[in-house]
Amino acid sequence: MLTAAARLRDHPMLLDGVLAVLLFAISFGQWPASPSASLAAAVVVSAVLAATVLVRRHHPVAAFTAAMTIAATQILFGMQLAVTGPPVRALEPTATDVVIPVLLYTVAAHRPRRVSVTALVSCLVATAVAITRWAPAQVPGQSNLLFIAAAGLGGTAVAAWVLGDSMAYRYRREYYASLEERTARAEAERDAQIRIAAAAQRASELQQRRTLAIDESAARLRRIERDLHDGAQVRLAALAMTLGEIKEALDAAPAGTADGDRTRMLVSAAHQNAKETLAELRDLARGIHPPVLDRGLGPALSSLAETSPVPAELAITSTQPPSPAIASIAYFCAAELLANVAKHSAASRATISVTDQADRLLMTVTDDGVGGARLAPGGGLAGLLDRVQTVDGRLSVTSPPGGPTVVAVELPRHA
Amino acid sequence: MPPPAAHPARLRIVIAEDAAIMRDGLTQTLARRGHDVVAAVADAEALRQAVDTHRPDVAIIDVRMPPTHTDEGLRAAQSIHRDHPQVGVLVFSQYIEAQSATDLFAGAAGGVGYLLKDRVADVSDFIDAISRVAAGGTVLDPEVVRQLLSVGRRADALAVLTPREREVLALIAQGRSNTAIADTFTISPRVVEKHVASIFAKLGMPPSHNDNRRVLAAIKYLES
Repeated sequence: MLTAAARLRDHPMLLDGVLAVLLFAISFGQWPASPSASLAAAVVVSAVLAATVLVRRHHPVAAFTAAMTIAATQILFGMQLAVTGPPVRALEPTATDVVIPVLLYTVAAHRPRRVSVTALVSCLVATAVAITRWAPAQVPGQSNLLFIAAAGLGGTAVAAWVLGDSMAYRYRREYYASLEERTARAEAERDAQIRIAAAAQRASELQQRRTLAIDESAARLRRIERDLHDGAQVRLAALAMTLGEIKEALDAAPAGTADGDRTRMLVSAAHQNAKETLAELRDLARGIHPPVLDRGLGPALSSLAETSPVPAELAITSTQPPSPAIASIAYFCAAELLANVAKHSAASRATISVTDQADRLLMTVTDDGVGGARLAPGGGLAGLLDRVQTVDGRLSVTSPPGGPTVVAVELPRHA
Repeated sequence: MPPPAAHPARLRIVIAEDAAIMRDGLTQTLARRGHDVVAAVADAEALRQAVDTHRPDVAIIDVRMPPTHTDEGLRAAQSIHRDHPQVGVLVFSQYIEAQSATDLFAGAAGGVGYLLKDRVADVSDFIDAISRVAAGGTVLDPEVVRQLLSVGRRADALAVLTPREREVLALIAQGRSNTAIADTFTISPRVVEKHVASIFAKLGMPPSHNDNRRVLAAIKYLES
């Protein structure tokens, strides 16, 4: 039983079909028995009336209007006080007219109130007319019967309207609630999208700033090296040269006085200091920015390979030069990796290769040594990884026991 | 102070160095030692003009000069050496790149030098190096030799030499005379001559003009 009700609820057309059959069936016995033409006409009228419920969901006003037209015709021609003489038997109102409050309910539930009020008023007018046509034939003095009929019909119409109107109110509330919910959801989605767009914008800004900072820093290091080269280093070399001349002049002068010997000693110490400072300054400047990098990554790596303690071959197929900052990172990685090869690998050969990989630069340093290199936290390779990651680069180590060791460094062509 | 007897010749010198303090310092020092600095310029273009005009005995050239401050001096030295083989070129630099030395010495029969700028501090040695380059000798900074010697593969090409012969060859590559080499190792000049002859033989250099073989051996050493 419950499943049948649930099925009917889920299939409104089925429900309306059952309703139509029931509405048609309740007129059974109210149709005129003869003549057969009247019977047929009455059956058709009931069938059409009952059928209006089938279209009530899609066309409530049309269904209501059709049913009301039939009812009005019945009231005018099928009642005791018919407009054209004796009532037409086939047009006598039947129980199927119950379809009217059903349709009124539907109109009230699904159409604007001004439409449903018009429908209600037309129902009440029809009721009044029907009662005036029906009343004179009743036994006089039975006014309570009249009252019951009026109250019954009018009350049913009003009740149907109130019920439908309250349904409409519920529908509207549900509709507004769902509208509100949809609006809220759309707003939340829009907010999320705005936040995502803002985050993307921020990421892109940060990346641009990072690129600027990295390029700026590389340029500044280069400038510092240049300033050292043109300034402190050259002045110190000139100073050392002057000290050298003084030293040689003193050496050539005849020895003798204690003061002269002491001066000679001091100048000699100053000369030695100046030379050692020059050497230290050179190493410092080279650590800041190897000048050979100014000639490009290729010549810089070639110079590294040239002086690598383990013979190193260089294979460069890359044709697109990286930015100075990237070239510098690649150079320092190669220097560190070659130093590792010399220190740990016991290799007899090493190879540095530089290739283009889409918009990135791939540098691999391979050796034929003992293998077993690891990316241990705090280790030299981890330091390289940190450096490479500052520009979204990658570093991978393949070094099985027994070798060979391959370290691959992948860098963007621009920071 | 009279100039040392070791290099009495009065040399005509062109200096190319963009740092004024070093350019002026060198000019004065060389003048005090009795040499003629016929031109002191600050870039490679002026250097080429000065060499064309003066045909000096030797040009002292800084590697890094305007406009790019990379290796203008090196390239100018190579072109001068090609166009004027009789002009000695001494390249000096704040840094030593073995690659630059190899570039400079490749195809050069002599009259070429490559020194670290620091070497100006030992004035007499520096002037001695200038004189050797002017005389058609080769001068190579000990630092280049050290860098190249630290590379294991030197042994590949020069494996036929004994360790002492390799040491002697390193000094030859620096342009040292047999006497200087004998002093360095405190051995007799005759022993040095034996080593040198053995080196030439092992490197497959027929006995011809002695100086030329020394240069060839030095180049072989550098290019190996």
